[in-house]
Amino acid sequence: MSASLAPECNEVKERYDSCFLKWYSEKYLRGKGTTDECADLFKDYKQCLTSVLKKRGIDKMLEEAREDHKENDALNMRRK
Amino acid sequence: MKVFSNEETFNYSWEEVSTANWRKYCPWNDKSTHVIAVDTLSRHVDPATGILRTERLITCKQSAPKWLASLMGGTDISQVFETSYVDPESKKVTMVSQNLTFANIINVRETVVYQPLSATKTQFKQDAQITALCGGWQKVKSAVEDATVSRFRENAIKGKEGFEAVLEMSRRVFSEEKMKQREQQEKMAL
Repeated sequence: MSASLAPECNEVKERYDSCFLKWYSEKYLRGKGTTDECADLFKDYKQCLTSVLKKRGIDKMLEEAREDHKENDALNMRRK
Repeated sequence: MKVFSNEETFNYSWEEVSTANWRKYCPWNDKSTHVIAVDTLSRHVDPATGILRTERLITCKQSAPKWLASLMGGTDISQVFETSYVDPESKKVTMVSQNLTFANIINVRETVVYQPLSATKTQFKQDAQITALCGGWQKVKSAVEDATVSRFRENAIKGKEGFEAVLEMSRRVFSEEKMKQREQQEKMAL
């Protein structure tokens, strides 16, 4: 798996990524993946990451980009 | 504005490609070394459609040409924000991304789509729109856009090679795991 931009988050990220990949390939793609089994691990990872994003001022840039991406949701969140 | 488009075919099933895509930038990919970190910001399955929506932050380190580097304030770290959508029913992965860094100088919007061509072949389609925003001479804008397009071209070639390596390793590891499971089951049966 790839590294985190914050080295201190690498360990929790690795745990979350492995959990997600297993869920994605074994359950989600087989139509059995409606619930997120990796939510707890994601919470740990996210907590670590959020403080780093704030410290480096990346959170503000993300807010703006998210606004821009709203139109993509309208395009891609519905089934064709 | 300049446009960069590219299409590739991978000789792997859509399921294999869409799974390996999540670890495209892992150590198995020794080509796309400009990507130094990939972080997941949010992820959920839409209960109505079953579509998996993910937000990621991709961190790159790549030296720009000298004249361009000075324009960009001398930093070689840049970040990209990506939103992706997986529709397992229609077998389609769509990834939309844009640059976060240097957003006042240049706007890069990229769309990547993975769709099956057959049970064993998957198509990769990439489209990027590059618009230089820096005021002033058209010549400078054009040069900034051209430099970005050629960077896209270089990274596309490396990206294909690197992803092929990840796909091959993923398939090998998967078959080894399956073999281990089978051995264990046989042992239990004895």
